[in-house]
Amino acid sequence: MHRFLRLSILLAGMFSAIGSYAADAPPPLTTPDELGPPIEQPIEFPHMRHAGLHNPADDADPSKPATGGMEINCMYCHTYARRSMVAGIPPLRKCIGCHQSIESVRESPRIKKLFEYWDAKKAIPWKKVHDLPDFVRFNHERHVQRFVFQQGRPVQEACGYCHGDIKTMTVARRQKPITMGWCAECHQKDHPVDATSTKTTHGPNDCFTCHK
Amino acid sequence: MSVSNLLENWSKFRHNHPVEDKGHPDWQAYPSEIKWAMAIDLDACTGCNACSVACYAENNLPVVGKEKYSHGQAMHWMRIERYWDEDNREFPDQGAQFLPMLCQQCEAAPCETVCPVGATNHTEDGLNSQIYNRCIGSRYCSANCPYKVRYFNWYDYPSTENVWPAPMEQQLNPDLTVRGKGVMEKCTFCKQRTYTARNNAKTEGRKIHDGDVQTACQQACPTNAISFGNLFDPESRVAKQWEQQQVELIKAEQEKDVKPGNNLRGYRIFEELRPYPSVMYLERVRENGV
Amino acid sequence: MIENGFNRRDFLKVLGWGGTAVALSGCGNTSIENGKETVVSYVEPEDYAIPSIGVYFNSTCAQCDAGCNIEGRVREGRVLKLEGNPGSFINRGKMCGLGQAGVQAHYNPDRVREPLLRNGSQGETLTWDKALSLINDKLNGVKGEEIAFLTGGVSGHVKVLLNNYLDALGSKNHYAYEAVSPSVVRAANKKAYGVEMPRLRLDKAKVIVSFGADFLGAWVSPVHFSQQYAQFRKGNRPEGRGVLVQIESKMTLTGANADRWIPIRPGTEGILALGIVNALGAGIPADAVAAAKDYTADRVSKDTGVPAEQIIRLAELLKERSPSLVLAGAAAEGYAHGSQNAAAIALLNQVLGNVGKTVEAPANAQFAQITPTTGNRAALRSLNDSMAQGKLKVLFSYGANPVYTAPDALKLQDNLKKVPFKVVFAHYLDETALEADLVLPLDSALEDWGTSIPEYQVEPHLSIQQPLMERLYPNTRGVGDILLALLKQRRADEYKAYEDFYSYLRGAVVQNKAALGGAGADDDAFWNETLSNALVKLPGAAGSLSGKASAVGLTLPAPAAEVVAYPLRLIPSVSASMRDGRHANLSWLQESPDPLTTVVWDSWVEIHPKTAAKLGIVEGDIVEVASQNGSVTSQAYLFPGIHPDAISMPLGYGHEAMGRYAKGTGVNVFKILDPVFDKETGELAINETNVRISKVGNRVVVVKEEGPNGGSQLGRKKIAVKVSSDKVDLSKEV
Repeated sequence: MHRFLRLSILLAGMFSAIGSYAADAPPPLTTPDELGPPIEQPIEFPHMRHAGLHNPADDADPSKPATGGMEINCMYCHTYARRSMVAGIPPLRKCIGCHQSIESVRESPRIKKLFEYWDAKKAIPWKKVHDLPDFVRFNHERHVQRFVFQQGRPVQEACGYCHGDIKTMTVARRQKPITMGWCAECHQKDHPVDATSTKTTHGPNDCFTCHK
Repeated sequence: MSVSNLLENWSKFRHNHPVEDKGHPDWQAYPSEIKWAMAIDLDACTGCNACSVACYAENNLPVVGKEKYSHGQAMHWMRIERYWDEDNREFPDQGAQFLPMLCQQCEAAPCETVCPVGATNHTEDGLNSQIYNRCIGSRYCSANCPYKVRYFNWYDYPSTENVWPAPMEQQLNPDLTVRGKGVMEKCTFCKQRTYTARNNAKTEGRKIHDGDVQTACQQACPTNAISFGNLFDPESRVAKQWEQQQVELIKAEQEKDVKPGNNLRGYRIFEELRPYPSVMYLERVRENGV
Repeated sequence: MIENGFNRRDFLKVLGWGGTAVALSGCGNTSIENGKETVVSYVEPEDYAIPSIGVYFNSTCAQCDAGCNIEGRVREGRVLKLEGNPGSFINRGKMCGLGQAGVQAHYNPDRVREPLLRNGSQGETLTWDKALSLINDKLNGVKGEEIAFLTGGVSGHVKVLLNNYLDALGSKNHYAYEAVSPSVVRAANKKAYGVEMPRLRLDKAKVIVSFGADFLGAWVSPVHFSQQYAQFRKGNRPEGRGVLVQIESKMTLTGANADRWIPIRPGTEGILALGIVNALGAGIPADAVAAAKDYTADRVSKDTGVPAEQIIRLAELLKERSPSLVLAGAAAEGYAHGSQNAAAIALLNQVLGNVGKTVEAPANAQFAQITPTTGNRAALRSLNDSMAQGKLKVLFSYGANPVYTAPDALKLQDNLKKVPFKVVFAHYLDETALEADLVLPLDSALEDWGTSIPEYQVEPHLSIQQPLMERLYPNTRGVGDILLALLKQRRADEYKAYEDFYSYLRGAVVQNKAALGGAGADDDAFWNETLSNALVKLPGAAGSLSGKASAVGLTLPAPAAEVVAYPLRLIPSVSASMRDGRHANLSWLQESPDPLTTVVWDSWVEIHPKTAAKLGIVEGDIVEVASQNGSVTSQAYLFPGIHPDAISMPLGYGHEAMGRYAKGTGVNVFKILDPVFDKETGELAINETNVRISKVGNRVVVVKEEGPNGGSQLGRKKIAVKVSSDKVDLSKEV
């Protein structure tokens, strides 16, 4: 009886120790929405405004300010995604390029903040939302080249697979686990080599492909 | 990581090693079109150590200092060994022998089979991979390595040891992890460069040409003693050298078809231990009659 | 409290449960960081600046005088790695270890960041304006002959500005000083061939006989010569595989690569050269015959210690295989009769008919103002004399560290104190900077603009040095900018058009674009292309070799007699990384083993095992090496590649300042050198120091790469393998 008590206390102790450790870990491989914590950025950049869908009904009344989005292609701003490993935060000049001519919003607080940075020639210190550990490399170029250019998928679908439905957000928020298990799941799916072939292959499974 | 994945990869791992007597069919169809290999000409090597310093620059190698060096804890992925003739000469009148020693990226690597957590594996393009975040620091791999080319981070070089005092940390190569304490590391044939070359080739829709990628040591070497490239590409310099020297990757003992007295000077080190290394050395030549 | 009721089985069961719990949660556990790191974009990038893709910019290496052309990999505004510029005539895309360490010189934590003014034994920071106006004030009323400018070797437009500045000051006192330089050989070459540095064709020679010229290591242009050496060793060139013979008292890197390394009694290189001339027998000019007639094989063998059969074999080898190439290096020239040694060796080239075949004329570069002014050691002596006599009131110093490299016997540090105002342009607070009254912080070589022409030219060209990134510290300046600012104080009108050194340089190059191959090109396009290549060919007429190696008046002294109190000869060695110690603060170089001894992070005393046995010295014994002019203490290392009558210590160690890696590492051998000078040129003869060794009493473990087994392969087969040349056919190799 005593032995059982001691044993169960020991067990309980160990479980609670391990449990507290396990509780920090995010839940495994499902993909519920809004997985990552909201992250505060220096400027609350509205993706929904820039990348979001356009609402034709708003065009009817020119006196009303336009609502809805401008459906800007992800790669217009995140221009390095198709030719570099990193998708890159757009350089400040990209924002200013349009906004220097948009009088209607020139005085709004966030745009004013934007121009403060520009006048000081200071880069905006964005906080990294999809931040992989330093020992991992994720090659945007290969994924964009394959899914957008080779397979012809729409850009928002291709980017959205990993980054979620950005066009409904203001600042980006992590929506997928982007853990190794999650990436490897896709990489291990067998698929035909090409449309006509019966041979199947899967994505690179090599450790060195992703681990720097 | 599922159990079935583990089992499947385990059997593939065991099968992909060259097994001469079985003449294994999988070996003929090596999964990738690329097998990185190297050839080092010991006659051209002058022992200048440029390759070693270039490797430090490219791969974020920590400088350990005098005391740790005396404990054998130096981190030179590429080191130059210097040997003398051992016949009790009064003077080394035929000079010294320099041997650049680096990870041989063995096809049947003794280090790969003994890692308790699977942190070292064989890649599709023929490299022996070392994954830092999986490594738990058992150092069994280093014990097994006959060339002793695996180096352990005994200390926390980036922080505690302050090996890169500001602003030296700005020189660090972002393409490569800066290793923390307790992980094993070794030469990777500059995988960050081979990766970039393969990436560029794929985007441009072509194969890798010989010379697209140079390892740091090869690029620095003033006498061009190091050649590196794809052994499966018959046009590459390294493939031509291996072929001309009649050294075959999957043989443990080379049968060379040569006339007597007309030897070929290509060889691999510790071939008889059958790790099937990917680095071929060319014997140093000395004229005796001078 | 665990009582003995708790048994091992239960314990393991608990562990098992615990382990499973961890494993289950392990698959989702990641290191994904949420919002901790900052990602900073560019503000206004160039089109080619793509994050994660490095862009290569060309420049010129400044780590030694070879002046190789380099390219730097620049990523996100930082230069990360240096490679050779494939378009270079000198190094063709290759680099040595010293050059690779150029990034460490740039990012060095011990660089000087602010101008410093002496206040007692401290340095106070001051602004550039104050510093420059202070210089102006101190120069007021000082006559031209009381001002001196000490530099290393200089060339290019910095040399132009320097000369103009000295001219503006009315001073002719430019001392170009290099502690390690082949100055005696230069003078001998001038006499023998008409040029100081002829073009050497190692790749065309069948035999190279080098009297201590370490052309693979640290002599003149090692990367270039290494490439030629690689050609020289190829079996599939028309001349067949070349043979290298190295003759020296202490084995250099080149000696380690020789087919035959011949140890020779220190100082007797000239005697051996004449011995070979004698052994050549017929077919040589009369004056050579006359000069060499006393140098029979037996006599030479007695004088030099080289066996007579070896001498005769060498002569036969040289006769059979032509063209050959005979080189004279630091080992041969570092004596009071160094010039005669070098002359005898040059005579050998003449007699063998190599002149015009493997000794060629360099092309004559056209623009004399920018051609290199080489440094030598005689300059230090005359500067020292001037200072000792109190003749100087203002001294500028750039690119030299004489307080470190001058032998104690010259008492340079004391003489320096007699100069009331000293300005040092410095990267580090080295020994000389610490003596300065004003220290001006320099841009690193990777932050600076400049042009240069190396002394050893393959094709005449002008190398451009351009910044590979923004300066790390806002208050450093390029040497060109400093000189321009100083010039504007004196000749404001002439130089006011130039906003900075960059615009001066650009103007100077673009002005001459017609001569530089850009005739008719748009200025901007020409300049951009020049920068993109970072080198431009100079027009030059093909030169010719005049001068004649004459044996008239060639006399060689008998081998030096042993000095009883100081029985051993000290041969200071120059390694490719350490050289004269200017890069001792680069940790990669300290960690990179010396190729011959494999020692790291310290000095050593190389002793032949026979000599060590006689003195009862084993490896690691701390020994005191004492000359008549000082002593140093270091660890003994038994080294078979040295003459038994000599010991060797490396130069470049033993800094007392300069930085965290340099300070206190090793000992400074420069200090104990005897003040002996070459009779003809006045150069410091570095191999003329006689020393004695004594054990101090304690012993250390020598920290070296080779480990306790020394250079032994421990009986293992097929590690580092050597094959005899007659057993292998190299002609069909790839």
